[in-house]
Amino acid sequence: MIPEIAWKNVWRNKSRSLIVITAVTIGVFAGVFTIAVMNSSVVQRIDAAVNEELSHIQVNNKEFRSSSDIKSLIPDYDKVVTDMMKAPGMQDLTGRIIIRGIASTAGRSTGVEINGINAAKEKQIFTLHEKLIPGTGDFLDTETKYNKAFIGEKLAKELNIIRYSITEESLKKLKDEKLPGEISTKLIALKGERFTSDKKFSRAVEAVLLPGEYRKYIYLIKEAAWSYRPGSKIILSFIDINNNQTEAAFRVSGIFRTNNDMFEAMSVFVPEEELRQLTGIPENSYHRVIGRLKDNSLSEAASAYLKKELPGYEVMQWKEIQPDLAMLADMMQQIYGIFMGIILAALSFGIVNTMLMSVLERTREIGMLSAIGMNRNRIFSMIMLESVFLSLTGGLSGMLVSGIVIAATSKNGINLVQYSEGLEAFGYSAYLFPTIDAPFFIMTTILIVFTGILSSVYPARKALKLNPIEALRKE
Amino acid sequence: MKVIEITDVYKIYNSSEIKVNAVNGVSLDFEEAEFAAIVGPSGSGKTTLLNLLGGLDLPTSGKILIDGTDLSLLKSSQLIDFRMRNIGFVFQAYNLIPVLTARENIEFIMNLQKMSKASREERSFELLKAVGLDDRAGSRPSKLSGGQQQRIAVARALASKPRFVLADEPTANLDSKSASTLLEIMEKLNHEEKITFIFSTHDPRVVKMAHRIITLEDGKVVSDVRTE
Repeated sequence: MIPEIAWKNVWRNKSRSLIVITAVTIGVFAGVFTIAVMNSSVVQRIDAAVNEELSHIQVNNKEFRSSSDIKSLIPDYDKVVTDMMKAPGMQDLTGRIIIRGIASTAGRSTGVEINGINAAKEKQIFTLHEKLIPGTGDFLDTETKYNKAFIGEKLAKELNIIRYSITEESLKKLKDEKLPGEISTKLIALKGERFTSDKKFSRAVEAVLLPGEYRKYIYLIKEAAWSYRPGSKIILSFIDINNNQTEAAFRVSGIFRTNNDMFEAMSVFVPEEELRQLTGIPENSYHRVIGRLKDNSLSEAASAYLKKELPGYEVMQWKEIQPDLAMLADMMQQIYGIFMGIILAALSFGIVNTMLMSVLERTREIGMLSAIGMNRNRIFSMIMLESVFLSLTGGLSGMLVSGIVIAATSKNGINLVQYSEGLEAFGYSAYLFPTIDAPFFIMTTILIVFTGILSSVYPARKALKLNPIEALRKE
Repeated sequence: MKVIEITDVYKIYNSSEIKVNAVNGVSLDFEEAEFAAIVGPSGSGKTTLLNLLGGLDLPTSGKILIDGTDLSLLKSSQLIDFRMRNIGFVFQAYNLIPVLTARENIEFIMNLQKMSKASREERSFELLKAVGLDDRAGSRPSKLSGGQQQRIAVARALASKPRFVLADEPTANLDSKSASTLLEIMEKLNHEEKITFIFSTHDPRVVKMAHRIITLEDGKVVSDVRTE
């Protein structure tokens, strides 16, 4: 009976209750959606790091990471593989030869990490092959008489492999991408010129566009003006196993694009056998064995198992390899808590205010209820339930709206390409796919109910303090 | 059989400047099934006496026994429970719960007493019929006239078969036709249910129908007349 009266009391003043419920809905939606967006950037960053760069578990020669010495190989690779396959949740693994070197083209050179890989195996463990920019070749798949290398877009730009030019074709692409006609007209001034670097092209575009136009469309323009000649040649130089300076020409087999500029700029992937031949590293020897688990949550268990089983090696899970990511994930949890706390605290003030008004308006009625025998607990419960119903109705509709908006935006993503350069410099995607997990929804519901209960305490106490005689006298 | 025994009851209000003897040494008894009116000019202490009888206020001195229970010895929570089980209230301004229907208002106290649904429904329809509003069971107070609301309030007061009903100026806000109907209903229920009715009133129609008229002046009983 008390819940029924409380629910009816909520709707006694429909417009006031609807205003509060709308405010709670908007507040909860703002909080949940913002957290979903923040969460997506972290989840995507971690997923990208695990799926494209690190995988779940890495086993190295103990000296390798500190010395980067080509001779710091894993001596008994077969035993390591056997032990790793026994780790909880281990799905697949692959070995890598990893050496430091310099990549250069005519007039440009930069330090890189050269990874000798088994392309077929890598495809089972990483998703990097899916990051191939269409039209730039393949993931070390085509057999040629040349050495081949799979490199990042950032490195390709550094080495001036990528060129920019405004052509009829690029203008058509821009038209298809709905670039305003007046911008295309301004770009015609650059037609026919060939820019050998990203920087030079950016400067030229900046000169013909207004600052606002430049900021808004530069990403789109670069994408359309981008060109690359398949099979471009780069030189990789490094020290071989006998400490001899070696260099070899490689044809770029494909270019990949990730959200991590640093990874793109530093990583070169070449077939394992080609690197083995050039460096003199013997068969069945690797610097690192990388393991893929069935699930990310098994990383701790698998890492603990392997640390015990392979004491002579450096066993690291992704959180240890990139502790900043693990810290970021933990920190985000705390930020979500603080964020929701602030929103719910603000909402509780609104609910307290409404409930107080509602109680003070019903002084006579509450006095009558007390007079005819409704005890303090029941009066308290009634006011508390009114407050909980108000906040819960608003909270649930807020979460429903959040759920719908998150579902809608997670399908196509939120486009932040205007800020892509800044975001990608830190490894974050320019497309965010808001995501939130079920426990967060459950926790938020509990917090909303708790806020409702907490918000009812002051108005309910006020109601309990009413003297029935004085309350009945009120007009 | 005595339902209420009031012995030398005083109620003194001490405001910062003046001391008011609202009830000044009243001693009265009420028998079962009485139909009594407390009359007197404004400020004579009628409502204060009614509040003391209803356990809404406690006397400064003296004793009020309801069926032998001294109200001043009960704790606040016991007093609320006592009121719920033994006393029915009818207020001048009806004071029905606006979000509940007529029937739900009548069943409210029975609900608090955790009576079964079947018993509640049986009693509420019996009372709705008694007050002549069985066709308005599903109406909310805002859809009822003042007289109809007060009849529902009387039905609510009687719902849990209390020992007595206290009615503070029950006809004050009613037109004469509604007031007459209400009084007839109350007299009939008093007769049928053997429940004591005590009114505070200025209304000569109530006084005319009362079987006992107690006149207060300056907080004192100046006359106590039984008309039948």
